[in-house]
Amino acid sequence: MFGEQQRFVLLLIAPAALLLLLFQVVPIFIGANASFRNWALYDPKKTWVGFDHYAAVLSDPAFLYVVLPNTFLFMALSVAGALLAGLALALLLNRPFRGQKLVQTILLVPLMVAPVVAAIMVRWIFNDQFGIVNVVLEAVGLEGQPWLVQRWSAFGIILLTDIWLWTPWFTLLLLAGLQSLPKEPFEAAAIDGTTTWRVFRFLTLPMLRPVIVVCVVIRAIDAFRTFDIVWTLTGGGPGRATELFSLYAYVHAFLNLDLGRGSAAAIVGGLIILVIGVALFRLVDRIAKA
Amino acid sequence: MAAIKLEKLNKHYGTLFHAVKDVDLEIADKEFVALVGPSGCGKSTTLRMIAGLEDITSGDIRIGERVVNHLPPRDRDVAMVFQNYALYQHMSVYDNLAFGLRNKKTPEAEIKAAIDRAAGMLGLHELLQRKPKQLSGGQQQRVALGRCIVRNPQVFLFDEPLSNLDAKLRAQMRIEIKRLHAEIPTTSVFVTHDQVEAMTLGDRVVIMRDGRVQQIGTPLQVYGKPANKFVAGFIGAPAMNFIEVTVRDQAGAVSVEGDGLRLTVGGPEAPALAARNGRRVILGLRPEHLVLGNSVQGLGFDARVEVVEQLGSEILLETRVGGSSVTAARVPAETVVVRGDQVRLSAQPGRLHFFDPETELPISG
Repeated sequence: MFGEQQRFVLLLIAPAALLLLLFQVVPIFIGANASFRNWALYDPKKTWVGFDHYAAVLSDPAFLYVVLPNTFLFMALSVAGALLAGLALALLLNRPFRGQKLVQTILLVPLMVAPVVAAIMVRWIFNDQFGIVNVVLEAVGLEGQPWLVQRWSAFGIILLTDIWLWTPWFTLLLLAGLQSLPKEPFEAAAIDGTTTWRVFRFLTLPMLRPVIVVCVVIRAIDAFRTFDIVWTLTGGGPGRATELFSLYAYVHAFLNLDLGRGSAAAIVGGLIILVIGVALFRLVDRIAKA
Repeated sequence: MAAIKLEKLNKHYGTLFHAVKDVDLEIADKEFVALVGPSGCGKSTTLRMIAGLEDITSGDIRIGERVVNHLPPRDRDVAMVFQNYALYQHMSVYDNLAFGLRNKKTPEAEIKAAIDRAAGMLGLHELLQRKPKQLSGGQQQRVALGRCIVRNPQVFLFDEPLSNLDAKLRAQMRIEIKRLHAEIPTTSVFVTHDQVEAMTLGDRVVIMRDGRVQQIGTPLQVYGKPANKFVAGFIGAPAMNFIEVTVRDQAGAVSVEGDGLRLTVGGPEAPALAARNGRRVILGLRPEHLVLGNSVQGLGFDARVEVVEQLGSEILLETRVGGSSVTAARVPAETVVVRGDQVRLSAQPGRLHFFDPETELPISG
């Protein structure tokens, strides 16, 4: 059926394909199957309920009016924040200065920190009794705040943590993009008497756009699934005020042990990511061709 | 409009590389000067220092009356054409042309007028709405020229603008640039490694090697009276033939003797040569100054044909004289000659060049 060369190629692909199948594809089907049943650990019958769970998720006000808006807001602000910070740092690092290599290395540190560790760190920094932030505020005569139990401050802290974690990633990729740009147009612009702002607006940004778009697409899809730092910082609280989609699915599946409902939520989320992903990739394609 | 003056210009890269060494050059207002030399000779660095794209290590650059040593490029009022065009790829041709003027907040109506004029000169009207990617190399280079013209600067700088074009286009663009300079006379510095471009375009030609200026002169001067052996070999195609010879002064009759040739020297350089009786010198003969046959008494020699290059308009002969020296000659296209033929070549009187083998400076009367 296959030539010798194809058989060899298939043999080489097989281990990776097998792993992908076992740990990605099969679980998706198990999850999809679970989402159509009453699959609770205390109920071994696993009754087929059709789209009941989907209906429940999609009519759950908490999901529609808290979790989804939170997730989209988080995705948009986290990606935008890290992109802007990363771009700014990349532009600064792109000009030669003493100790540039050192600064570049230090900037990578957040990438090496496990998100959970970072989140625990931040949680202590903003702890209302022992946190350094409140200690400093009280020392200068201001009032300490219960940062993590107020909705918007908690949301802001989650955002800042995520931005801090991901800025170096943007910096790294955008810096590589900046360094690969041809230098003649910039020299021509310098001779043409172009101000720094106009160079950025009319040369750097348009020339860097393909890299920016790819970064945003990858990061946006990733940000949609953020779980660890939110779970560690607030656990979705106060109340459910900072609950994101991944927490919603997790809580239903593994705390309430309602695997059917949790799976349905996960699949709804998966479909949303799919739609967003396809739309964003179309966009990339258009921009790359333009 | 402005003159350019370079005084004792130097450029070091780090401590090891001395790219430009004590360059002195005065370029008159509206003059077209070509900087030419082999790659790495410092010509592009010199141009980039005039533009302000490279710092100068020491020396002075004046444009007009101003010393511009530390001015950023935008304050020097120069325009530059790059080898790879350096167009703004994501902008239309119109926007490319308008960019420099918009930087200066020129009113759009004025911009449009300037672009109209430039587009007319360069035949760009049909291309204004296209993106650079949709243009051929020659068209892109015309846009780059247009970008310079619309700004109406004091100085045009050209950094090997024709090197990326094929031979035919290069010749066309050469004429185009020459015509433009006649229409809008502007002080211009043109860097090239192609001596034909330098000779045809430059009012004066500056030949550089290893960071130093070898000679500055009109095309006729650098061709007819090269300042040293390097210039003699660099200018002219095919290159000048160099043959090692020994001077013989026999009671006032000066001749030079080499492997397989003996030429009588009667020109103004004879006394200077006579003073070197018995010493070795380098004889320089341009291929175009060699003729077939024994037409000139005392200047003929025998050669064996090794390669025949028929160009239609003429034949280039690659010949061997004596044991070692190789000599090129340009002879009429109708000449019947094949590889292995013995031919008689004669140098034209007054067209002999002599160089000191050590200093490589010309020996002349």
